[in-house]
Amino acid sequence: MAALLSVEDLCVEFRTDKGVARAIDGVSLEVNAGETLGLVGESGSGKSVTSLAIMGLIPSPPGRIVSGDIRFNGQSLPGLSQGAYRKLRGREIAMIFQEPMTALNPVFTVGSQICDVLRRHMGLSRKAARKRAIELLDEVGIPAPDKRVDEYPHQLSGGMRQRVVIAMALSCDPKLLIADEPTTALDVTIQAQVLDLIAKLAKDHGTATILITHDLGVVAEVCDRASVMYCGRIVETGDVGDIFDRPEHPYTRGLIQSIPRIRDDKLGRLPTIPGIVPDLLDLPDGCRYRDRCPQALERCGNFDPRLEQHGNTLAACFNPNSEAAK
Amino acid sequence: MIDDNDILLRVRHLKKHFPVKGGLLRRQVASVKAVDDVSFDLPTHETLGLVGESGCGKSTLGRAILRLHEPTSGQVWLDGIEVTAADKTRLKALRRDMQIIFQDPYASLSPRRTILETLLEPLQIHGIGSKAEQRKKVEDLLEVVGLRKAVLNRYPHEFSGGQRQRVGIARALTLNPKFIVADEAVSALDVSVQSQVLNLIADLQDEFGISFLFISHDLSVVQHISHNVGVMYLGKLVETASAKDIYADPKHPYTRALMSAVPVPDPKTKSRRIMLSGDVPSPMNPPSGCPFHTRCPEAMPHCSQQIPAATNVGSTASPHWVSCHLHGDEQTPTGPATKPPNAAD
Repeated sequence: MAALLSVEDLCVEFRTDKGVARAIDGVSLEVNAGETLGLVGESGSGKSVTSLAIMGLIPSPPGRIVSGDIRFNGQSLPGLSQGAYRKLRGREIAMIFQEPMTALNPVFTVGSQICDVLRRHMGLSRKAARKRAIELLDEVGIPAPDKRVDEYPHQLSGGMRQRVVIAMALSCDPKLLIADEPTTALDVTIQAQVLDLIAKLAKDHGTATILITHDLGVVAEVCDRASVMYCGRIVETGDVGDIFDRPEHPYTRGLIQSIPRIRDDKLGRLPTIPGIVPDLLDLPDGCRYRDRCPQALERCGNFDPRLEQHGNTLAACFNPNSEAAK
Repeated sequence: MIDDNDILLRVRHLKKHFPVKGGLLRRQVASVKAVDDVSFDLPTHETLGLVGESGCGKSTLGRAILRLHEPTSGQVWLDGIEVTAADKTRLKALRRDMQIIFQDPYASLSPRRTILETLLEPLQIHGIGSKAEQRKKVEDLLEVVGLRKAVLNRYPHEFSGGQRQRVGIARALTLNPKFIVADEAVSALDVSVQSQVLNLIADLQDEFGISFLFISHDLSVVQHISHNVGVMYLGKLVETASAKDIYADPKHPYTRALMSAVPVPDPKTKSRRIMLSGDVPSPMNPPSGCPFHTRCPEAMPHCSQQIPAATNVGSTASPHWVSCHLHGDEQTPTGPATKPPNAAD
């Protein structure tokens, strides 16, 4: 069975004053129905650009999809007209953004914003839409939904707002949900509530989910598979268990080791990744991680590693951890 | 037991209430109790981590200690000198000993000044050393925080977030402070850079014996860097203990819920979360009795009436203070106060 969403060798460029920056360079990924894929990476690694490309929301100019394909349900997305894309967005593919205050319109009540989606995509009547909106608010755990439905975003707390955004995203029962840092702006106790909610709803509705985050803890808790991005490329992909247990790419391992953990006993020094992420306008030749990599070989400077099977995961590395250990 | 002489910072019954004005005449109609009766001791060469959710008052506490916000009441002693009683001149002198590192290095560095100008300013204000000495000091500091001398004539926008935070740290170090408030100092940084900066802070503590009040919403970061950890909720410290004890054996239901909510970066341990219902109440109108009783899974009838007193459930050598009716009762209604420091007598 073909995957619900498959991204093949996607490249996106942005024109800037200083030159052309290739924000993502040859990204491939697949998501199946009912599955949650975690897209992890540090700022500037291209995870948000990947999601915007899937949604057809790359601002153009300055950005454009240079090459590659995005296939959703057997249909190629990049060539779609704006009108066709608009029918897809919200109905088939929905998105949850990081900051719920900017995702909601401050001058309309939350109810009217949810009703808009329902009436446009599902063709519901005004009355039916309002009834459904209240049900949705109830489903995402908002107390007194029949009152909240008439409130404005500023009257709700951050966690409540994010629930409204989730209710909106799920209102048309989408096949694919993209959540871009959905809990980063929330407090940890609220984050736990929202993550559980997304996981539960995805399971209940069989929705395929892409969860974009910089927090490996979040990935470990909710995702089935994970892809790690670095400098516009996916450097490792695999089941979450394997990624955390036996990461093959030195970057993945570096990331996992550099998270401070609760229940470490000693006040020791954290393992770190030396150096900083290279500038997208001035990338090194060969492997982009080479300058920071503890196990770089000579050929890492000359050739570009591609994603290949190493151990239990796919990693783009000439000297993956299982090899280096020998 | 920690000797009184080893206490660098002592905070007693510190309160910071912000007035809320309303009505036609802009009269005060209410107040936000951002920090409400907080007491603790910070020994020399140690780090106290302060955790809590947004709006719990942790940043306000940090600033009230430094008198960046004038406290409403309460006392703060730094190295035996009462900060809260100092006049303007005295306070300026005291500022040499207490500094702050801000969360956002983008916002806390002037975009119009070179790194050199930024780092020289504290030395000029306090008139320390000749021009050549000041320059030397700045160059030394850059080395300490791991930046090259070549950066001196550059502007903040030319740096990455991690480098900018290093500049922020260097600025806090210029006057050789004894005490630094690090307010979400690594929160804006990516994981790989965050670990570098955390190690730098730990190195600085070893090298210069600085005490830190490390404020963060990230419990794993706080546990990693702190000797002792305090948990704040609605302006009050609800639990304080050594980092080891508080994570291994949290006593307060809020601390437990907070700990269980942290996502663990290990797919094999599916954590059992204690879900808190609802949101943090408004500090303008905090609940009666225990501030946590509205969300507490173990609330009892009298929790809504009586404010729980801080009780030591640990030992004298390793105190573990908790303010909860589930643990002990009405010992000292004053928080973890032992006795007032001699300097105040």
